[in-house]
Amino acid sequence: MKMNRYGNVNARPDGIVEILITQEAIERRIAEMGKEIASAYRDCLPLLVGVLKGCVVFMSDLVKRIDIPLEMDFISVMSYAGVQSPGGAARITKDLDTVIEGRDVLLVEGIVDTGMTAGYILRNLQARAPRSLRVCTLLDKEVRRIVSIPISFRGFKVPDRFVVGYGLDYRQLYRNLPCIGILSDEIIGLDRS
Amino acid sequence: MAVVTITSQPGCPGIELAARLAGRIGFSLVDKTTFAQLSGEIDLDEARLRKVDEAILKGDLHIDPETEACVRLLQDLIAQLAEERDLVIIDRSAQGLFRNRPGTLHVRLVAPRKFRVRQVRTREGLSGREAGRLVGALEKEHARYLRFLYRLNPADPDLYDLTLRMDRLSIDQALTLMATAVDGMDLLQVPRDRIVKDLLPQVPEKRDTGRFANTAETEFARFLRFYRIPFEYESRTFNLETDANGRIVEAFTPDFYLPEQDLYIELTTMKQSLVTRKNRKVRKLRRLYPEVNIRIFYQRDFHNLMAKYGLLGSPEKSHPGFGRDEEVKSKRK
Repeated sequence: MKMNRYGNVNARPDGIVEILITQEAIERRIAEMGKEIASAYRDCLPLLVGVLKGCVVFMSDLVKRIDIPLEMDFISVMSYAGVQSPGGAARITKDLDTVIEGRDVLLVEGIVDTGMTAGYILRNLQARAPRSLRVCTLLDKEVRRIVSIPISFRGFKVPDRFVVGYGLDYRQLYRNLPCIGILSDEIIGLDRS
Repeated sequence: MAVVTITSQPGCPGIELAARLAGRIGFSLVDKTTFAQLSGEIDLDEARLRKVDEAILKGDLHIDPETEACVRLLQDLIAQLAEERDLVIIDRSAQGLFRNRPGTLHVRLVAPRKFRVRQVRTREGLSGREAGRLVGALEKEHARYLRFLYRLNPADPDLYDLTLRMDRLSIDQALTLMATAVDGMDLLQVPRDRIVKDLLPQVPEKRDTGRFANTAETEFARFLRFYRIPFEYESRTFNLETDANGRIVEAFTPDFYLPEQDLYIELTTMKQSLVTRKNRKVRKLRRLYPEVNIRIFYQRDFHNLMAKYGLLGSPEKSHPGFGRDEEVKSKRK
């Protein structure tokens, strides 16, 4: 895949039909979100739980903009795409290293669309009795929501298009794009008619 | 609003008469070409349509659910067209679909076999024997189709309002008789909904526990189970309309109910531009039951969902729920 030089956000990589959100816009919004989160958790020690792998790029930039003490951990859930047997069920493939009972937890996602993954993780974490549990996502594709997810901190609402970049992938590719791009329907086999 | 069905014995000029009648009275013609177009719009390609016809013509009344779904869907499409415009329909067992309906005229074109064989022989450039065989094969084909869909015999005179002998009438004379019948029966005065109401069964058939109507529903159920989202399948039927006697004349049963989200989900395999009837029912449901949350998952939505998990676009991960080579839902709601 031919990559544009970082910083040259006007060049479109292969397979990207449109740059939806530029790197500059992302950085600006993350700075704002950092202030919002710092203000919300000023009186406690929040634990930011990133959902791998989509959160990686977003979370690493986000935490640098939160100017209060915080802790970080990560969780990973098996994707539906990885299901081999008809009766397979979601499970945690990388659990937290931290006990969250009584903690103020902020779940950090790269994108929330159907809400299935976030919903599953929230149910799981809620059962561990945190003091508070909220959700922060860079992208919110609300139009596709099946499971209702209360989002406390939101970067951008996005339309019903397949977006990649800034940690978000298509078959593990495109995570390293510095912006959010719309992937070609042809690549993902979609017929929009 | 009216529907004219023309059932033509092989060798009679049914196709020409249907086209000329449609033109003369300003109706839309539904013929083989129309079917091909409709099939394409619902992702039924020619190969699948041929498979559908072959299965029926083999005389096997127990065809697989997928093929049956295609057949039913085509009938459903004709019914939808009838909701929108006046039609002249040639063959395709339309006399079965619209039998005994107000606002319809059912015409049968007949002639002695000798006459018809002669016509086919001239038209197709065949020998007498070949033409005879072709006429016989086509007769069996038409009979099987009607028997499969509606358990009817095409030779039953009660299916027709007008039977015309094409060895004794010219095409122009037959045309005049049909047009006169359309006018004389005041077909155009019949309100559209009297013709199409209840055209297809409104109440879904009961299914065995755990069985879904098609692979798309099966896959969606699997998807919900994967994320441990509790759901109910076809758990509630919403009455949309009752008659003066309290009998249900229209109802709708969404596919899935997610109790934790208090959300109904209806999957549809048809292209978004063709779900007029389903959209109408959902709009009606929302109007009558404003407290009910319901969402339609169109073909495109389901594809988006599968694309998210990389389950489109490669042979090893292609999903069989929707699309050109995929099972078509025929559920009647």
